[in-house]
Amino acid sequence: MDHRFTITVIQSSLLAIAEEMFAVLKRTAMSPIIYEVLDAGVAITDADGRLACSGAGIPSFVGVLDKTVKALIDNTELSSIHPGDVFCTNDPYQGGVTHSSDVILMVPVFAQNKLIAWTSNIAHWSDIGGATPGSLPTDAKDIFCEGLRIPMIKIIQAGNEIESVFSIIQTNSRLPDMILGDLWAGIAAARRGAIRVSELVNRYGVDIFQTAMEDSFYIEESRVKNALSKLENDTYQLESILDDGSIHLISVTIRDEMLLVDLTKAPDQHDGPYNTSRDSAMIACQMLLKVISTPKSPANDGSFRALKVLTRKGSCYDPIAPAAQGYYFEVRMSLFDMLLQCLSEGMPNLFPAGHFASICGTVISGIHPDHGRRFTMVEPQMGGWGASLGQDGVDAMFSLTHGDTYRCPAEISEARYGIDVDRVALNSSPGGDGQWRGGRGLEISYRMRGTGQLSVGYSRSVVPPWGLAGGGSGSVNFVELHKVSGDTIRYSSKSGILLDKGDIIRIRTGSGGGWGSKKLRHQSAIDSDLKDGINVSNEVL
Amino acid sequence: MSIQPIIRVATDVGGTFTDMAFIEVGSDGTQIVRTAKTDTTPPNFEQGVLNVLERGRVEITEVGFLAHGTTVVINALTERKGAKTGLITTEGFRDSLEIARGNRPDFFNLHYQKPAPFVPRYLRRELPGRITYRGEERIPLDLSGLSAILDDFKEQNVEAIAICLLHSYANTRHEEEVIAAIKKYWLDVSVVASHQINREWREYERTNTAVLSAYVQPIAEQYLSGLESAMDRKGFMGNLYVMQSNCGVDNLSRSKRIPITMVESGPASGVLAAAELGKAIGEPNILALDIGGTTAKCSLIENSEVKIVSDYWIERTPSNAGYPVMVPVVDIVEIGNGGGSIAWVDEFEKLHVGPKSAGALPGPAAYGKGGVEATTTDANLLLGRINPEYFCGGEIQADVKASTDAVSRVASQLGIDMIEAARGIVRIANNNMTNALKLVSLNRGYDPRDFTLVAFGGGGGMHGVALAAELGVKKVIIPNGAAVFSAWGMIMSDLRRDIFVTQLLDLQNDAWRILDELLLQVEDQAIAQFASEGVSNDRVSFRHLAKMRYQNQEHSVEVEVPRRPLSKSSLSDLEIRFHEIYEREYTYRLQSPVEIVGIHVVVTADIGRFELSKVKVADAGCGPETAHKEIRDVDFAQEGVHSTSIYDGALLSPGMEFEGPAVIEDSGATTVIHPGNKASVDVFGNIHIVLTEDSNG
Repeated sequence: MDHRFTITVIQSSLLAIAEEMFAVLKRTAMSPIIYEVLDAGVAITDADGRLACSGAGIPSFVGVLDKTVKALIDNTELSSIHPGDVFCTNDPYQGGVTHSSDVILMVPVFAQNKLIAWTSNIAHWSDIGGATPGSLPTDAKDIFCEGLRIPMIKIIQAGNEIESVFSIIQTNSRLPDMILGDLWAGIAAARRGAIRVSELVNRYGVDIFQTAMEDSFYIEESRVKNALSKLENDTYQLESILDDGSIHLISVTIRDEMLLVDLTKAPDQHDGPYNTSRDSAMIACQMLLKVISTPKSPANDGSFRALKVLTRKGSCYDPIAPAAQGYYFEVRMSLFDMLLQCLSEGMPNLFPAGHFASICGTVISGIHPDHGRRFTMVEPQMGGWGASLGQDGVDAMFSLTHGDTYRCPAEISEARYGIDVDRVALNSSPGGDGQWRGGRGLEISYRMRGTGQLSVGYSRSVVPPWGLAGGGSGSVNFVELHKVSGDTIRYSSKSGILLDKGDIIRIRTGSGGGWGSKKLRHQSAIDSDLKDGINVSNEVL
Repeated sequence: MSIQPIIRVATDVGGTFTDMAFIEVGSDGTQIVRTAKTDTTPPNFEQGVLNVLERGRVEITEVGFLAHGTTVVINALTERKGAKTGLITTEGFRDSLEIARGNRPDFFNLHYQKPAPFVPRYLRRELPGRITYRGEERIPLDLSGLSAILDDFKEQNVEAIAICLLHSYANTRHEEEVIAAIKKYWLDVSVVASHQINREWREYERTNTAVLSAYVQPIAEQYLSGLESAMDRKGFMGNLYVMQSNCGVDNLSRSKRIPITMVESGPASGVLAAAELGKAIGEPNILALDIGGTTAKCSLIENSEVKIVSDYWIERTPSNAGYPVMVPVVDIVEIGNGGGSIAWVDEFEKLHVGPKSAGALPGPAAYGKGGVEATTTDANLLLGRINPEYFCGGEIQADVKASTDAVSRVASQLGIDMIEAARGIVRIANNNMTNALKLVSLNRGYDPRDFTLVAFGGGGGMHGVALAAELGVKKVIIPNGAAVFSAWGMIMSDLRRDIFVTQLLDLQNDAWRILDELLLQVEDQAIAQFASEGVSNDRVSFRHLAKMRYQNQEHSVEVEVPRRPLSKSSLSDLEIRFHEIYEREYTYRLQSPVEIVGIHVVVTADIGRFELSKVKVADAGCGPETAHKEIRDVDFAQEGVHSTSIYDGALLSPGMEFEGPAVIEDSGATTVIHPGNKASVDVFGNIHIVLTEDSNG
């Protein structure tokens, strides 16, 4: 039997194992943010921590866990890694990549008494302690405000729970039962994967298993390089001003089938939570490489070999401890957005214009008026995507760093949170005109039936999404609080806003940028927009 | 006076063929089974039905029960050939249909396109009025704007109207008032409201379901009326039923009104057949696998119960979010891998099989109809697993040269010989199907080793054993008449309706009263509905399930509710059962409070069941040698070439036993029994294949 078919079977079995691990994690997790927002990911790596495959509902968790496993290997004596061990960390300064809310679990896989792989997962826990419920204070001054720091440690030794560690973790959360459930979900998922991988290796043998991994790395590396070779060799540069007035200078070079990203001119690290680790900045660059080279094929170690990223210690993309990193996702979102803008200006025919480019994290908490139980609603928002050559932007999608994430239905929100959802509609704000117009964002109205608290973290609230090839800018993301007292206050980034009964929270998310001059828009498209009641003129902006 | 024989017939209209299965139970209990096949005759599909009945020598005037399966609904949807549809929603929510849920599976694609809504924005209108999630009216319904909306719809040539108002699952009154007002103003327009189809929350899914039902209603009604009058003209006096997606049949009037429930009726009849077969032979836990020409479909049956869910999508792929259809549908996974799936080699010399298929035309190269691409069928032929002299039941001569050319082309791309390539094709195809079977078992918390594989469709017997070995399944059953198994399932089906209602209830105090009232209300409505359709109360029976979860979780499990009337202790019974089922499915249990999210009531009406009859045992002492045709070399792919006994399926009879390597050739299908397997024929003529420890991978 030709061993190439065995290799194919092993490769597809690894993908099936990753899917099974992800299914276990989703099914058993306690925190809604894991099973609804899919703020979680799983991976299988080889013994050296090279990514074999990942399962995730969102792109920004692809290619994360290999970095953590490599950090573990670098800092652990091989002789102290045993079958049945489970390792854990959440610290971005020790290989945790993202922020303290994301906890990573890793299990070594042994076959024939040899360490041959790792299975791992990462998931956002609802509360890991820190200054505010949910562990994401917008006014955090250092990482200690963002909850418990779990260094790279063993939490299960050869199958035996280290009870003191479990106890420390539980004691440091406001939701101890929920996170215990999440912890066991993560352990169960990684263990399931480890069993399956060792079954696979025992069946086909270590040698062919390792050949299958190397082969898949080689293929992906070749695919990526082949795609890069078709792009024009050049250095693309961008100077971009963000909402807070900070100026970002970015340079992206495509040369000799390599993608070089220079972030050394980035601003100094932020004194609040708007920083992201070097590993996480890498993820933004990996996503860029993926979308321009191999968007359809599954990622592995070979996918990112053509990437080189330069950062500067002490910058917002490579902060020095103990800088806070809670809102790393907004930092990484805007970095990914700038990277896309940087390349798109040089290759406008290949890229869409800018999208609303924010997670638009919205947290409403309070007491349910019908039964008096406490609730916390954690919600990312959907917005408009940018237009591209030949295609209007897509209306109302989650951001590019999301993926198979679902918006909570109004009927469920009303029941679960005891708030009134008065309206969920396409945003009528002008913006995003062009030969092809930007997709529209959303207009959402929530009305409080009781008292509560609101926290929001919206970017692109001042500087709208960028147009491309002469297309107009999109519109901005923001929240307007219409107080029952008659005042109206606009917010973009703020935690702990007090809400009274009858207050209306109006969310608007932006339209994406337009592509091409609006003078060239086809009459039939204009007529169709008019018929559908869509307002695109943004001449005022 | 002699007892009238029972004659039940099923007709199944597919894209290419119209199939028929016929069972006559004589007054002495003997059963006559016949099957037939003719071409499908678009656009006058009823003609194909009449043709197949004629070919099957069915006396239409004597048929008591005719079940009909059709793809008219799914075809109208996928081909976008439905009616121009308008939508009426709650004020502030007309964009729900277009906003959808914002998810995109294809997440590295910068140019992702969202599925376009079936109703454009200018035909989506709103009415003020609010019901709360608890079913109370918060803002009265304001119908003052309705006539202007309807005038617009008329002017735009709208043919069908869907209505979906928020929380109509909890209180249907506003939707009912809108229907009544529309009917008063515009009598002959087709109207459907979401609560008539489903009473579960999630406004986007419910809206889309109402829209798709409205969209296909006129065309489905026309189709069914055409069938009805054609049968009437032929003197049909029995009851005509239509196959549904929930493994049951329903009557004509209901199917015309709410046709969307037919959307997945094809796969449903096959899964039901597997469940019914399992009951007959004492196998309650089954993995059902249907391998057709283009796809393979699988489903898991636990304790003889088919799994019916209401989260179903059409056109959902790894690169498309698809459209939700919230109707009761059998829980299946379908992949693009069947006998006609095309093998191809990518730029890295990797072999793939499917999802592209050679279809019915040209079909596999072996059909000799001009197909030049290698398919799984071609590989099976070249490995000696399919007999070229007995191809498609001997109806056509296999074009071995065309197959050889096609597979050789794949082989030269890989730099290997033709036989190696054919083995690779079979192996990769098997691997694809194994992964699909894992999705319905392992990924949902079930261990496939606890299940028996029932493999049917044209390719079930060919691949079943290899898949079972891969998954650790110990036994494979190839049903008697595997190729028309689905039509047989239709004959076995009950009149069945699955009713889902969302109702949030904490498990405390007098919750049992509320639950009891809700169940009673659903029962009464179902009985009244059946009565209006001429089905009497004494034939109707119920099964009650509660959807339960830990407070505030998302995922729920279904728990059987104790017999009505409920009492206070019913709640603790429910809670105990919940913890057990939850732990089995999710691996842990919690101390947290438990809540009910809704109910699932299975309503069945007895329309005359009958027992499967045992196949007449051949002459006593008859061994398998009487069915033995020849010995030839067969390539089992991974196990290599073996000298293999070939049996004639038509001559097999109950009690016969033999060992692999063996191949059974039947008119519709070939069954491959690997070396080391033990095969036996049961009293119904089904083939049981037991895998030994060695043959399990």
